[in-house]
Amino acid sequence: MTSMLEATDRDRSGRTAASEAEVVMALEQTWRPEPGLWGWLRSVDHKSVATRYLVTAFVFFLLAGLEAATMRLQLARPENRLLGPDAYNQFFTMHGTTMMFLFAVPVMQAAGLYLVPLMIGARNVAFPKLNAYGYWVYLFGGVFLYLMFFLNTGPDAGWFSYVPLAGPEYSPGKRVDVWAQAITFTEIAALTASVELIVTIFKMRAPGMTLNRMPLFVWAMLVQSFMVLFAMPWVATASQFLAMDRLVATHFFNQAEGGDPLLWQHLFWFFGHPEVYIIFIPALGFVSSIVTTFTRRPVFGYPAMVLSLVGTAFLGFGLWVHHMFATGLPQLGESFFTAASMMIAIPSGVQIFCWIATIWEGRPRFGVPFLWAIGFVVVFIIGGFTGVMIASVPFDQQVHDTYFIVAHFHYVLIGGAVFPLFGAFHYWFPKVTGRMLSERLGRWQFWLFFVGVNLTFFPMHQLGFEGMPRRVYTYLPETGWGSLNLLATVGAVIMAVSVVLFLVNLARSLRAPHLAGDNPWGGETLEWATTSPPRPYNFPLVPVVDGRMPLWQHPDGLPALAGLRTDVRDVLMTTVLDAEPDSRHRHPPPTIWPFCAAIATTITFITLIFTPWGLVIGFPFLLVAFIGWAWPRGQDHQEQRRVEAEAAVEVAG
Amino acid sequence: MTAFRPVGTVANLPNTVFGHRSAMWWGTLAFIVIEGSTLFICAVSYFYVAQRFPTWPPEHVLRPAWTAASIQAALMLLSNIPMVMVDRAALRLDLATVRAGMLVISLLAVVMCGVRVLEFGALGVRWDSTAYGSVAWATLVTHTTLLLLETVESLVFTLLLYSPNLEQRDLSGSSDNALYWYFMTGVWIPLAAMVFLSPYLL
Repeated sequence: MTSMLEATDRDRSGRTAASEAEVVMALEQTWRPEPGLWGWLRSVDHKSVATRYLVTAFVFFLLAGLEAATMRLQLARPENRLLGPDAYNQFFTMHGTTMMFLFAVPVMQAAGLYLVPLMIGARNVAFPKLNAYGYWVYLFGGVFLYLMFFLNTGPDAGWFSYVPLAGPEYSPGKRVDVWAQAITFTEIAALTASVELIVTIFKMRAPGMTLNRMPLFVWAMLVQSFMVLFAMPWVATASQFLAMDRLVATHFFNQAEGGDPLLWQHLFWFFGHPEVYIIFIPALGFVSSIVTTFTRRPVFGYPAMVLSLVGTAFLGFGLWVHHMFATGLPQLGESFFTAASMMIAIPSGVQIFCWIATIWEGRPRFGVPFLWAIGFVVVFIIGGFTGVMIASVPFDQQVHDTYFIVAHFHYVLIGGAVFPLFGAFHYWFPKVTGRMLSERLGRWQFWLFFVGVNLTFFPMHQLGFEGMPRRVYTYLPETGWGSLNLLATVGAVIMAVSVVLFLVNLARSLRAPHLAGDNPWGGETLEWATTSPPRPYNFPLVPVVDGRMPLWQHPDGLPALAGLRTDVRDVLMTTVLDAEPDSRHRHPPPTIWPFCAAIATTITFITLIFTPWGLVIGFPFLLVAFIGWAWPRGQDHQEQRRVEAEAAVEVAG
Repeated sequence: MTAFRPVGTVANLPNTVFGHRSAMWWGTLAFIVIEGSTLFICAVSYFYVAQRFPTWPPEHVLRPAWTAASIQAALMLLSNIPMVMVDRAALRLDLATVRAGMLVISLLAVVMCGVRVLEFGALGVRWDSTAYGSVAWATLVTHTTLLLLETVESLVFTLLLYSPNLEQRDLSGSSDNALYWYFMTGVWIPLAAMVFLSPYLL
């Protein structure tokens, strides 16, 4: 190993740069996390925040899974009495809302917030305080939704809350308002995370990591973040319109006063369809990372892969109307959206062929992460086939609102997101914890899940053909749907066993010693260059990149740049396109203000459910919190003044 | 840990940069996209609802008065003159001009908030009378949240300019703030045309 002692040079304050051990000691001191609950609440480290995001999202996954399992038990036989119609309505609404807003999007962004800075050789995300704020808002929104559910005020109009059902006339009470405001919490969190990721990727890439050298996962997160930026405002605004219709008697969706229920569908699905790709695109990044490492060769067709990601994102915004084929649209519109819906199979297909070519040319190792990647291809392709089928208007008219649709989107979402996610979990778990998960348990988990998913959702295609509608809490024995429903429930139980095995695997591993090493799979990207788990500053020096596979290109040591200060939280900013070193930026020390700002936001949003004066009531809280956030002070201020004074001396000299 | 082989140093790079070299500039731009989308959605909803009515505004609803809106649009456009001066002075690290400019901007922002109250009155329709009232109010309220945000930010930032805690990088922040101001004032012109003029044209 080339010693970091070679880093000796004079820093700008004229001191001789220290030895390797001293550099590391100084960094440990400057970037150390604060102990205890107070320190935990104040943390602005991207790994700490992202780990909380991941754990919280996983808890919501388990809750939504329990809701799904309860629904499956209810439907296991005709005229079952486990759940009544009112409880069933709340269960399916909570299941959908949780899976989409509290699990799928946050978990993907959390993976990005953890991995992207490590993959691009940065020390943190671009705006650490904003990152912490986003997490707290997400947590408070999710907890609020579940508190209301436990108080029997859970939303009950479906995850897309169609009006007029969700309007004031047909849904009195506060259930839909709870939904609308919970959505606002999650949208704020998602938008802050997307801003965070875009700016981090644009401005903090390791020197030399030009756009065409970025790992495909980083590309996927960049594309996904742009999609979030353009899609989420639609549902955030629409849900506010809905809340206003209910609270202050506006008429956005009230037919009688010139509003239109279909306006809700347009606004919702302009977000709702891209949402699928917001969930799916990061998963493509997971798969590319796993396939590269487990076939020991670069992914085939890097430019085609990147263009496919971008193409999918663009096309993803042009499909929303296919959710509305049953609403009586002009025929030309239907034809256009049918064509667009079929076209999106092209970029997805290109990526799948690129992975197949990579595996074909490589030397595949069938480790657990790779199994999940293969499982993804199989399950997702089945969902893709049925997607092309329902893109056709006459077919869609036949199966609209039946279990065929339920089967289709579960194949797409579980295949397209949950399979890659479990693969990613196995793949990066050693990096995050320093421990390995059991391969044996992992294989059992994979096969049980694979069988369970197919057993649960494949029969639903047939149930749809037989006319079983979505969202019914029970059915009559004469319908003949009993046996296929029972089969689906057996599949759900197998999936549940698989998830329990995963929890056992997790618990066993977390009690085991740190034995994973820095790069247990032989990965090629920068996150594998640092310790497992990474230190708070990620890298002692700034890595320099001259290709797409830095660790494979430089097995004996990475080129790096010295010169970032070790006495303050100094980070390097690079240029957007070519990642040339451009400036140094000082990051904030831990602070409680993001937490306070999230509390102020929560007070405002929850009060707004009950009175429009919520804005006025919440304003002073928000004002104090955000001034506290932005006002420079104390040690923070002194450090910056010192940095600036030394910079001025340097310029004068 | 993989070994790191030093090949250079970044010690001589500046720590205060402006415009697209600053991360905050990109962050501000991203928030402009978000807020811009929200206003765009209001506009989409406005025209969506408009095509559902045979007349616009609907029958028995008065057209909005446009005096207050014209004054507001003029104020918003003119406010960009001191803001450009602040932006350029920040680049020169000219604190005195930044302070003076921000005092003017803060004052203008408070006046704009006052004119906004008149604009709400000038709509001549309540939010709960028809869908026309709902979309017009929604557009105005959404833009008002941005105006309030900028007013508070300008006032707090001006206070900061007189605080001993001021840092050099805050001047870069004032340049990024200018970017948001250009957006907030610029986007109002087409929106004002939509809310206050289109009822005369559609």
